[in-house]
Amino acid sequence: MSLSVGLNCPACGGAIKVNEGEHVLNCQYCGSTLWAEGDAGVLTVAYKNMQDRDGVLRATEQWWRKGLKARDLRKKGRLLECYPIYLPFWSTVTRVAGWICGYEERTYQDRDGHSHTERIPKEEMVLNDYNYTNIACDPGDLGIKRLRNIGGEASFADFESIPTFESTTSKDDSVNGSKEKALQDARRDAGVPHVTFEKVTIIPKSISQIYYPVWVVRYSYGERMYMATVDGVTGNVLSGRAPGDPLYQSLAVTGGTSLGGLIAAAGLIVGAGSDDGTIMFGGVIVGLVILGVTYMFFRHGSEIIEGDFEDKKMKNPLKDIGIELGGLRI
Amino acid sequence: MKVVQIKCPRCQQPINSKVKDLAFYCSHCRTMHVRDGGVNVIDFDIAEFNPGAQQDRVYMPFWRLFTNFNINQSKSAGGAIYKLGKFLGGGSNSGNVFIYIPAWETNVSEFKHWAIGLTEAQPMYSLRNDFNNIERTPTVVTREEATQMADFVIVTMEAEKPGTLQYLDYSLNVQDTRLVYMPYVRGQNGFAPGL
Amino acid sequence: MASLKCTKCGASVEFDTGDKFVKCSYCSSQIFIDRSGAGFYYALPFAMNENDVVGVFRRWAGGSTRAKDLDKLAQISSVKKQYFPVYLFKRDVNGAEQVFVEPAGSTTLPGLHSLKVPGGDLKVFDDKFDTAGAEMIKPDIEMAPYLSKLPGTAKEQALVYFPIWKIDYVFEQKAYVVVVSATSGEVFSGEFPGRSSGAYMAVAGIGFVAFLVEGLLAIGSPVVAGVLMAATIAAVFIAANYVARRM
Repeated sequence: MSLSVGLNCPACGGAIKVNEGEHVLNCQYCGSTLWAEGDAGVLTVAYKNMQDRDGVLRATEQWWRKGLKARDLRKKGRLLECYPIYLPFWSTVTRVAGWICGYEERTYQDRDGHSHTERIPKEEMVLNDYNYTNIACDPGDLGIKRLRNIGGEASFADFESIPTFESTTSKDDSVNGSKEKALQDARRDAGVPHVTFEKVTIIPKSISQIYYPVWVVRYSYGERMYMATVDGVTGNVLSGRAPGDPLYQSLAVTGGTSLGGLIAAAGLIVGAGSDDGTIMFGGVIVGLVILGVTYMFFRHGSEIIEGDFEDKKMKNPLKDIGIELGGLRI
Repeated sequence: MKVVQIKCPRCQQPINSKVKDLAFYCSHCRTMHVRDGGVNVIDFDIAEFNPGAQQDRVYMPFWRLFTNFNINQSKSAGGAIYKLGKFLGGGSNSGNVFIYIPAWETNVSEFKHWAIGLTEAQPMYSLRNDFNNIERTPTVVTREEATQMADFVIVTMEAEKPGTLQYLDYSLNVQDTRLVYMPYVRGQNGFAPGL
Repeated sequence: MASLKCTKCGASVEFDTGDKFVKCSYCSSQIFIDRSGAGFYYALPFAMNENDVVGVFRRWAGGSTRAKDLDKLAQISSVKKQYFPVYLFKRDVNGAEQVFVEPAGSTTLPGLHSLKVPGGDLKVFDDKFDTAGAEMIKPDIEMAPYLSKLPGTAKEQALVYFPIWKIDYVFEQKAYVVVVSATSGEVFSGEFPGRSSGAYMAVAGIGFVAFLVEGLLAIGSPVVAGVLMAATIAAVFIAANYVARRM
């Protein structure tokens, strides 16, 4: 089998130009209408890099000052490396058309203290084109899975000079993933709590491949190496890892225990005075949630992680407590 | 991948089209075909322009689906007039209806406007057998996609009647699909019917 | 860069990994690259040097679930630069493209079983490719058996070498290993010295209960409760600060 297949017009023999993703072509010599059979690829665009090294480094330094990162990061942080790459994304448009019907229940109390539940019928049309981007390779530890910005000047001018990450995931998997996500988003947008009827049609309208410029910055803090990524079009920091600060961790748990504990106490006190159990439970639950959130920051705030990183998801308080209890049993 | 010349499946004449259109029209033998997984000749109608519409004429393609449908059960909260039932005539809950799906590139609101508009007010038109060199808007929607959208049109007509739809049990069969070119006049505020 | 012969004029035409079409620079014919029948060798260049990965290791070792001060106490015994092979298959299954990644080399190293091709600038791996002195792990599993087992028809198949840094370290007389992907700095580890959440949970739990009790107490004797609260705030903060820094 030969590796290369010449693309010549079957009518006049002239060399033809194929745009990826298009099945219908025109021969530029004889004007014949042509059809590309089989896999014609996908439309690909690349956005022009609009940032330079200095701008990216400055954006990273500004990012150091934001949030609960180590206070001395701007003094101790040292920028070491900074380079642009092109990351591949699948960009899909999915049309959703349908109806989701059902009802919402609202409970209210009348003057005699009896509670009534009212059913409010709802019929919601869902008609929308949902646009998603999804990274087309394994992002590793870059912390980027989708694009926040789609736009910029389309140009392949920098394509040779900037290293390009290759697409290694299937475009059809991406289309199917977008269909599922579009249905979920349509249901969320409809906002019908109790569904009695649903008829929704989902049609993938288009898929294209976007090469998006991203700058990778590596910096050190003491002996540790951290990183950040900067959007090559907008210049905003997309993701990053940074050292945390024990002071913020301690303040968080001090605030969380005091506020959470007092809210729980207030719930118990007020709840004991009325015969409605929801106030009592509500107060305790709100208090525990505040405690849980601040505990997570206290426990794991020694590293601040922004973006779509794998290890960010793992920080689940229940899992943490589960591991701890499991450890005690053994 | 292989590149082939697009030829009319009936008379084998090559087809020359400057625009990227999924519906290939052979002006020699007046055959139209699509390439949705094979080379398939399709039925199509060209509607005659009103003689009064002379300027800025354009043909817009619609997939016209001849459907048979049957509403087994429809429950609504509030409201009593059943638009669909009325539409079918005599309050009957089953019958045949032509569903029109715009076949050119539309955004969601245009899509709904055209699909519901033509399906609710079924156009009456006389046929002609060529395009008379009038510009055709390219077709981008496949037959398959149009068929899938039929459900949306049917449910929309039932849901947009007074009252809040709560439940609908129906069956819908598409018995025939046909590409219909409807005459329009391009104006400053979009397209005006040219029938 | 790999090359093929132009179907029209026979000139040598260079193409890159992701190209589907190339244009002959002599006769400007456009050529479609059919990868279904051939096997390709690709490799990803190293994007991180030894200092970078040791720094990444220290950052990872300083993480909240790692043993306290692991970044300082771990003794790195060796840092090795390696290329690890995997097979990448693109198949057409009922008209839809599916990607399969299968092992090409047997290993016990962490992370290399997760079977993915890390993102990177895939280059054609030939004798011109600079391996930067990395040790090449030989593929000891054949490609052919996979081809007959996988569903659908072939679109492309390739052996991909991806760059890793293997770091061996010792902590409290026990040896551990981590693998750092040299394209993105992702850290893969098997077993590692962990840290107990006990002290953290104790501070949070005791603090919460103390404030709860003091809050209830505040109804009867607000002054006593207020003084106790102030003391608890100070105690929790001091304890938390100690735990966050030292434990």
